[in-house]
Amino acid sequence: MAGAVSALFLLDIKGRVLVWRDYRGDVSATQAERFFTKLIEKEGDPESQDPVVYDNGVTYMFIQHSNVYLMTASRQNCNAASLLFFLHRVVDVFKHYFEELEEESLRDNFVVVYELLDEMMDFGYPQYTEAKILGEFIKTDAYRMEVAQRPPMAVTNAVSWRSEGIVYKKNEVFLDVVEKVNILVNSNGQIIRSDVVGALKMRTYLSGMPECKLGLNDRVLLEAQGRATKGKAIDLEDIKFHQCVRLARFENDRTISFIPPDGSFDLMTYRLSTQVKPLIWVEAQVERHSRSRVEIMVKARSQFKERSTATNVEIELPVPADASNPNVRTSMGSAAYAPESDALVWKIKSFPGGKEYMLRAEFRIPSITAEDGGPERKAPIRVKFEIPYFTVSGIQVRYLKIIEKSGYQALPWVRYITMAGEYELRLI
Amino acid sequence: MAPPAQSQRSPSPSQPSGKSEVSDLKSQLRQLAGSRAPGVDDSKRDLFKKVISYMTIGIDVSALFGEMVMCSATSDIVLKKMCYLYVGNYAKVNPDLALLTINFLQKDCQDQDPMIRGLALRSLCSLRVANLVEYLVGPLGLGLKDSNSYVRMVAVIGVLKLYHISASTCIDADFPVILKNLMITDSDTQVVANCLSALQEIWSAEASTSEEASREREGLLSKPIVYFLLNKIREFNEWAQCLVLELAAKYVPSDNNDIFDIMNLLEDRLQHANGAVVLATIKVFLHLTLSMTDVHQQVYERIKAPLLTLVSSGSPEQSYAVLSHLHLLVMRAPFIFSSDYKHFYCQYNEPSYVKKLKLEMLTAVANESNTYEIVTELCEYAANVDIPIARESIRAVGKIALQQYDVNAIVDRLLQFLEMEKDYVTAEALVLVKDLLRKYPQWSHDCIAVVGNISSKNVQEPKAKAALIWMLGEYSQDMQDAPYILEGLIESWDEEHSAEVRLHLLTAVMKCFFKRPPETQKALGAALAAGLADFHQDVHDRALFYYRLLQHNVSVAERVVNPPKQAVSVFADTQSSEIKDRIFDEFNSLSVVYQKPSYMFTDKEHRGPFEFSEELGNLSIAGESADNVVSAQRVEANDKDLLLSTSEKEEAKISTGNDSAYSAPMYDASSVLVTASQTLMEPAISNPTLPGQATQAILAIDDLLGLGIPAAPAPPPPPPQLKLHTRAVLDPATFQQKWRQLPVALSQEYSLSPQGIAALTAPQALLRHMQGHSIQCIASGGQSPNFKFFFFAQKAEEPSNYLVECIINSSSAKAQMKIKADDQSTSQAFSDIFQSALSKFGVP
Repeated sequence: MAGAVSALFLLDIKGRVLVWRDYRGDVSATQAERFFTKLIEKEGDPESQDPVVYDNGVTYMFIQHSNVYLMTASRQNCNAASLLFFLHRVVDVFKHYFEELEEESLRDNFVVVYELLDEMMDFGYPQYTEAKILGEFIKTDAYRMEVAQRPPMAVTNAVSWRSEGIVYKKNEVFLDVVEKVNILVNSNGQIIRSDVVGALKMRTYLSGMPECKLGLNDRVLLEAQGRATKGKAIDLEDIKFHQCVRLARFENDRTISFIPPDGSFDLMTYRLSTQVKPLIWVEAQVERHSRSRVEIMVKARSQFKERSTATNVEIELPVPADASNPNVRTSMGSAAYAPESDALVWKIKSFPGGKEYMLRAEFRIPSITAEDGGPERKAPIRVKFEIPYFTVSGIQVRYLKIIEKSGYQALPWVRYITMAGEYELRLI
Repeated sequence: MAPPAQSQRSPSPSQPSGKSEVSDLKSQLRQLAGSRAPGVDDSKRDLFKKVISYMTIGIDVSALFGEMVMCSATSDIVLKKMCYLYVGNYAKVNPDLALLTINFLQKDCQDQDPMIRGLALRSLCSLRVANLVEYLVGPLGLGLKDSNSYVRMVAVIGVLKLYHISASTCIDADFPVILKNLMITDSDTQVVANCLSALQEIWSAEASTSEEASREREGLLSKPIVYFLLNKIREFNEWAQCLVLELAAKYVPSDNNDIFDIMNLLEDRLQHANGAVVLATIKVFLHLTLSMTDVHQQVYERIKAPLLTLVSSGSPEQSYAVLSHLHLLVMRAPFIFSSDYKHFYCQYNEPSYVKKLKLEMLTAVANESNTYEIVTELCEYAANVDIPIARESIRAVGKIALQQYDVNAIVDRLLQFLEMEKDYVTAEALVLVKDLLRKYPQWSHDCIAVVGNISSKNVQEPKAKAALIWMLGEYSQDMQDAPYILEGLIESWDEEHSAEVRLHLLTAVMKCFFKRPPETQKALGAALAAGLADFHQDVHDRALFYYRLLQHNVSVAERVVNPPKQAVSVFADTQSSEIKDRIFDEFNSLSVVYQKPSYMFTDKEHRGPFEFSEELGNLSIAGESADNVVSAQRVEANDKDLLLSTSEKEEAKISTGNDSAYSAPMYDASSVLVTASQTLMEPAISNPTLPGQATQAILAIDDLLGLGIPAAPAPPPPPPQLKLHTRAVLDPATFQQKWRQLPVALSQEYSLSPQGIAALTAPQALLRHMQGHSIQCIASGGQSPNFKFFFFAQKAEEPSNYLVECIINSSSAKAQMKIKADDQSTSQAFSDIFQSALSKFGVP
């Protein structure tokens, strides 16, 4: 990485320094705090502020997580992308340690925070950022009554993401195949954009140093092995692996083999840009009956096979900001008016495939409208849902083999689920 | 594992003095310090934690220094860690107290437990107290040889910390050499990575004073080192991988096989889960293949998918950083994403910094095939989302219109904007329609019909108002009401706060007058009167100017103010291609986000390895720094660019190679004429029907505007075969690079005249003098009697550079010159020019 970080700050929602670590001594806390408080005051809406800002010779990069800002300050020409990634990693590590990263949890754990900041970065250069590995260095509270100190393992270890000597009574692996559907439909009902982002999320509870091998219905692999594909194979685009996967091996023969880290991690992510049929289709009609009454009629249709069922469906329908006195009827589920987001939220617990449900809502709006009232902010209809036991891409785990030299039998559990990602229909 | 919330929560934001708490803690610590009772460590821990919390929330607990050090005599690692923290925080302000801690830190550096050894060493090196440096060398030396990799890893960075406290101590102890060996031999990858970071920093900083260090720095880029690190890359952690990749991107491959080997080796890095690694790999690919056009194109194809995934998955900050890079790539290769434009459609709840960049991307990727879809999408934003973004998207539509050949569809859209009757939309659209008409006058009929319907009362923003008024003046023959609208506007002259609008009003009413004299005469009179009484000097002067012009001769006035216009072919690009290349060199850094090369936003001492250092950086630059020279030249260059409004495309055709657009030596006089008349409405004195006069006029303009016509005395006549470019531009990095690469063409000694020596008391004078002879100074330094200057010059008709190092000793009146040249054959001729220029220095 080109350029080192001068200091790392954790700030509260008003931009005051909670904790900071001075790595190189060329940016002061007061300087940074003065800059940052001014920045968020001026902007009013900190969300619209670029995450990289230059002020008086210093570059500040920040991200927000709940009510805390994490910010680096640097006087050098740093690697912007890399540092922003790094900050997100810091969030992950803190979350691992404190469950939730927020002002309160930081205040309760100053000592651990300092320890972590010291181990993750030295003199402005990132060091280890794997939560599990850091556990070797972080002593406070974790090792209260330790008798003999072990030297940190990972650092002397060939596999930097896994410590040796892990033991579980029951050896289990959970593999979740999660696909998120992003879709954008314009006001003519055309799909402007759609893609699927998938992830294989793993939780491993395995003893020793297990060798894992994962088999997917990857078209390239199956064709290479000369098997008939029968339309079940899939083309994965732009696959990315966790660092534990032997990439060279994958390049050679498309085998996914790895020694997993302990605990949960994302084994692999992929993207498909093939056109996807909207799994849940929503049509809406708005009628202005008079100057003071608006009626919305909404039809929601599930467009997947009947044997699947979408759960926790949430359809967010935008309504005028000054609407009041809602009167809603639905053929299924319940709808609630959420004035804080100017929307009507229609929730359907269970939505089987091939079904259609209706909603009819009536609102009162003030009959006098301000002449020069601000522009109408027209939001799209947004939909959230989950469809278990189903993937859009058709990806399948053919096998997950676990081999450890002690020869134990491990149980692999595989689940599939499809979720809505950025699912927007600009229909009203 | 987090301790339960304890009672020492920050008392209140109003900051208690904490005095009573501190003295309380003091006595408690004293009690515990001597105690050996069981469980004492636990109570110490609680107390220490309290101290650290107080320290963090800003209560001054430095008074506890002595007690804390006393209590630190323990084997408990948690206590030690907290004590180190405390000491690190207060050592700098209390150097005397810090001395107290040295003893126990040094002892801890030899502890049994490697963890304690490492932590103690880190704390020791972080004290940053200059007079304690002597105590660091021993423990660091041992640390570098420690059997445990954690200690070595800390020690390596410790060396770098030492270097920043006292460079000489670090060098004298031979630490860089030890690090170099460690980098190649150590089994632990993090130790290796830290060695690399430390060496890059140390050697770059040393390179300016020591030949050896600069050789060593180049050595890091040698094939064996780069290959050694690349072969191990899979073992490094992700951040260290970035470091190695960054190094590899600077490696100069020996041949094509080299390039392919590296790319094959790194191909799989594009699949790494960490986006930082992916971006760093992309940088390597792009930079390695710069010289191979075909492969470079293939690289673009290969990196597309990973980049798009990075944009659409992950945090908005990540998208922001990646989009900045995409934008840079698209500017270089517009075709790559032209079919993937849908990835840049905005999501409803994305933060606006991401949306803004996406809009820029959409503008950049628009071409004949996708314009329709993109513009449709942009129109959606104009109507829907928040106002700043709506404005940006209208501007984006305008930009696309100006860069496309087929604008039919877009013009309709813009006109629809005008009819949307939202103030901000109308305002933005008016400005765009104005620019559009300047480029495509053929659309005036359609546009004017719509513009004519807009009531000037609904337009408040100065820019939009000015645009509307400009159109009223320019197309007054087609707009029936034009004179009356203008008249109305003039009536409310006093309420118009923007000088820009008033200026436009004056000009518009003049133009209108020439087209429809009887209807406008009254308004013109009123406008001139109001203008003459205006407090703003530009408005006043312009009114006076028009008034005199009209008095002199109305038909001349018409020729001056309202000549037939030529369409602007391309609007000026504000960034030079040279700057863009610099940014591309610094791919994957802040430069890309800021769209500025790093020398524009970092101080000299904070420039990273390989960026800008060596002699140029460290000479105390007399008067103005090299940076200032460059930026001043750049500004000038930009001004020139604006005036000439030549497109980059055109320049690319004229001048081949990647030399700066501005060193293009001779400006075509006719293009000056044409563009001057386009861009500057008023001074367009040119009249195509009078060729003789016209050329004179051009010269006059040139002189006024300071364009490349030499105002200063030209280089002396004796060596007429070589002409120098009067406004050569070279940035420090290129200079440095060339200086390193080129052999010395000529080395001469020259005696200065006594007048010259006398005048040298102000070295600035020499710089100005040489500039008068088309020889620019890039850096200078030194003190009497020894002065050192770096000059450069460029040939007038081709981008060939001369670089000169000139050392003047004022007591012996001798000047030693080393000349390096792109074109060796002319170096003698250049030397003659240089000497003759030098000989004239100080001669009145």
